[in-house]
Amino acid sequence: MPSTEYQGISAPLTNLGRSLLPLRRDQVHSMESPIGGSPSNEVELESFQRQVADRFHDLASVPSDELLSLPWVRKLLDVFLCCQEEFRVILFNNKSQVKKPPMDRLIADYNERTVKALDVCNAIRDGIEQIRQWQKLIEIVLCALGGDSNSSQRSLGEGQFRRARKALIDLAIAMLDEKDSGQAVAHRNRSFGRHNNSSSHSRDPHHRSLGHFRSLSWSVSRTWSAARQLQAIGNNLAVPRGNEVLATNGLAMPIYTMGSVLLFVMWALVAAIPCQDRGLQVHFNVPRQFPWAAPILSLHERILEESKKRDRKNACGLLREIYQMEKCSRLLGELADSVQFPLSEEKEKEVIQRVKELKLVSDAMKEDLEPLEKQVREVFHRIVRSRTEGLDSL
Amino acid sequence: MAENGEEKLLAVARHIAKTLGQNDTMADDILQIFSNFDGRFSREKLSEKMVDDNNPRGCAALERALHALDRQISQYVALDHPIWAQTADSSAFLDAIDGLIRTIRDWSPMAADKSVGACLVRADDLMQQAMFRVEDEFRSLMDRGAESFELSRSNHESTGNLSFDSDEDNEENEEGLLNNGADLDHQIPVAQPVTDYDIVIDALPSGTINDLHEIAKRMVVAGFGKECSHVYSTCRREFLEESISRLGLQKLSIDEVQKMPWQELEDEIERWSKAANVALRILFPSERRLCDRVFFGFSSDADLSFMEVCRGSTIQLLNFADAIAIGSRSPERLFKVLDVFETLRDLMPEFDSVFSDQYCLVLRNEAITIWKRLGEAIRGIFMELENLIRRDPAKTAVPGGGLHPITRYVMNYLRAACRSRQTLEQVFDESNVVVPSNKLDDRRASSSSMSVQIAWIMELLESNLEMKSKIYRDSALCSVFMMNNGRYIVQKVKDSELESLLGDDWIRKHTAKVRQYCTNYQRSSWNKILGTLKLDNSSLASNAIAKSMKEKIKSFNSQFEDVCKTQSSWVVFDQQLREELRISVSRLLLPAYRNFMGRLQCIPEVMRNADRLIRYSVEDIEARINELLEGGRK
Repeated sequence: MPSTEYQGISAPLTNLGRSLLPLRRDQVHSMESPIGGSPSNEVELESFQRQVADRFHDLASVPSDELLSLPWVRKLLDVFLCCQEEFRVILFNNKSQVKKPPMDRLIADYNERTVKALDVCNAIRDGIEQIRQWQKLIEIVLCALGGDSNSSQRSLGEGQFRRARKALIDLAIAMLDEKDSGQAVAHRNRSFGRHNNSSSHSRDPHHRSLGHFRSLSWSVSRTWSAARQLQAIGNNLAVPRGNEVLATNGLAMPIYTMGSVLLFVMWALVAAIPCQDRGLQVHFNVPRQFPWAAPILSLHERILEESKKRDRKNACGLLREIYQMEKCSRLLGELADSVQFPLSEEKEKEVIQRVKELKLVSDAMKEDLEPLEKQVREVFHRIVRSRTEGLDSL
Repeated sequence: MAENGEEKLLAVARHIAKTLGQNDTMADDILQIFSNFDGRFSREKLSEKMVDDNNPRGCAALERALHALDRQISQYVALDHPIWAQTADSSAFLDAIDGLIRTIRDWSPMAADKSVGACLVRADDLMQQAMFRVEDEFRSLMDRGAESFELSRSNHESTGNLSFDSDEDNEENEEGLLNNGADLDHQIPVAQPVTDYDIVIDALPSGTINDLHEIAKRMVVAGFGKECSHVYSTCRREFLEESISRLGLQKLSIDEVQKMPWQELEDEIERWSKAANVALRILFPSERRLCDRVFFGFSSDADLSFMEVCRGSTIQLLNFADAIAIGSRSPERLFKVLDVFETLRDLMPEFDSVFSDQYCLVLRNEAITIWKRLGEAIRGIFMELENLIRRDPAKTAVPGGGLHPITRYVMNYLRAACRSRQTLEQVFDESNVVVPSNKLDDRRASSSSMSVQIAWIMELLESNLEMKSKIYRDSALCSVFMMNNGRYIVQKVKDSELESLLGDDWIRKHTAKVRQYCTNYQRSSWNKILGTLKLDNSSLASNAIAKSMKEKIKSFNSQFEDVCKTQSSWVVFDQQLREELRISVSRLLLPAYRNFMGRLQCIPEVMRNADRLIRYSVEDIEARINELLEGGRK
């Protein structure tokens, strides 16, 4: 884990962010509370805020052509795991506080949010599986058009193109937004079972292909909605009031921070990866004085921007590789539709070029998809562990 | 030898074709006739040799071979009825494909030759058309096969032999599920309900499976294995998911499981257990078998396809178990969580055997992770039980020092839990239970984690009871309370699994404790009274003695009266214990009283006022003692 030993050089804190903690320190000290903030506790909480900020600054420094790329999403998950780990340590070091009100309630609130995040993790896992299905279709395309190393060096014929086009059409349908593909699936299901031999051998390849694609089903019920789940995670996520900060010896702050981090990370995952009923209308009301607020809000804005771009509006996931997959396969599909046989040398070169591009995208996807899935699972396990630890310590 | 003979035969055939054929088409037709006549004269063998014999004419031979294959294949590709409706058609089509595969394979090394290369492009084109057609045939065979299976199955069902669950609610539920989905879902064939897990269903008729295998073989060899696997797994996945949903299993998110009322969840868990058993013991192995038969000889394609088929359903099953493991740890959930744990544990061999290949390994590992997590949840529930015991406040005293509800609850809970002793031992052995070992006897260090756990809970219960006993201001009542609860605990331990878990030493020790409480009770409520009956042998003046005796009897009277009054509302619920207590009180008190009375009768001043001073005869005292500790029932 690159996590816990992460010791970023303290980035300059915004003045406002700094002001929150000293305020609390003065108050606590003046109260001469027996549980009053030990200096080490102060340092710990402050460093947590700073570390979270550093990490998100780092994430936000991504150039726009790498935002929402698979490596970026993986880094995002790493950041979450690190923050979660540090948060866990803070709670562990303040065991005595955790059981007392209002801390117990705040922790329960946070746990409530994390359970909801677990469902998002599961939905994302389904989404990754969905992408894997697309990968399969792309592999067929590559296999047909010589993109994979195994296929012969023979010149491309009509047969290969027909095969590739069929897979490309299946892919295009599969990549439609959930709602649309739902219709395609319903269409398919209608003919399923009520078998009609003559129609099933219709010769129109387009018509046939439409019928073939059966969407991978989700592991949640049809009514489950990622958008609603995100809203539930963010529900009542509010900056702790002064008296709460006081009563919790400052611990209310990391809880709020972690809640915000959780919400943002889950939101970004839903933005990037296909899942059921995606929706990005979640409000981030993070006050700017938190040192990590600026990078998170900026990332939020940039991702929203991305989702509004015309060619991404109806995308089933903003993941950069999905976009490239979609673009490459569309271009290749258009090319395949337009070619005439025998293939001119020029066209052949173009096809080879496009196939190469598609292969690059496909390889990149292949490389990072499995680690991503493992990471999502890791996030799931960590959340569960921190929950059980919380329960155990009670 | 045989090969040599065949060579000669082929040479003759080629010779005939060459001499009789005035042009290529005629020669080709002659070869065609030969090949139809006898399998040994296959086109490839004939044409292959022609090339070798006569290289300049080689390409022409390839042309001819392709031409013939094209004619055959195109004819089938164009058919507007299923080719597999007729065995003759399908086998001829497969033969043609085999021919094409062989031709391509044999000629590929010469692809550099321009005309050969051009031919191979045509061959690829032809192959693609053939493959699209067999893919369609494959798909409709899968669909139709499953349908015919369902037909034959509804006959079975009408005999009523194979009913998995006749629960009417479930059927309604299933209807509801279906209506939520596509209207026509009920036409999707599903596995039949069963009670006996020791079966494998044949999801498709055997003939269909052979046909599918023949097609799959060609598709894989021709490089279309991905398409084949895709069609296969999509069809089977739908079948499987529909089967699982017919078992009444809903797709629930973790959030939904958390929010579900416990009683509903209990039903869901029952349905889940059944579904998991049917899935792992019947459905998945059947799919495995089907897959292995269809992709026989291509284990990698078989493994991949199988994983694709089962992944979704497996994840669905595991997600539910996971949600249960993550859920609330309130002690009443123990028994159902144990069910889930045991179901998964008992299915682990199935997970191991059915998901043993490289692709499915991840599913098996997930199952193990979640199974372990259920173990954690069970330990968590015990921890929660400990917390509840430790923190149970002493709000109001139980009247009469009787049995406290927490004693009853904990003891019955533990007894019920012990019915799953083996499972719990397994669960506790897997973790290093954090029990402050110094608090427990060293003797127990060698015993199982489970007995340590139980002993620890007993200890917590006892200290909680001691804390609760402090609420009684009367130390005798305090002892009665401890005695009652201690007695109950020992009894409940003795007639259950707890006895062997806690061991004889524990029981001896606790029986002794109860006895100690009895002694304490006697001492604190009766010793003082006994004291009043004490005779001093000092040689006081007789009138002083008389006065002292008078005081003593008065004091005795009032104290005895008080004790009886108070203790008649006290309770010792255990009849035997109550009897023993009374006997021992009588044994303590009666001789002393008798003695005292004897002495009293020697004092005339007292006897003069005997009516007023002597309120109880010895028999009265005994009678009163026998009314004690009834809990005010009299």
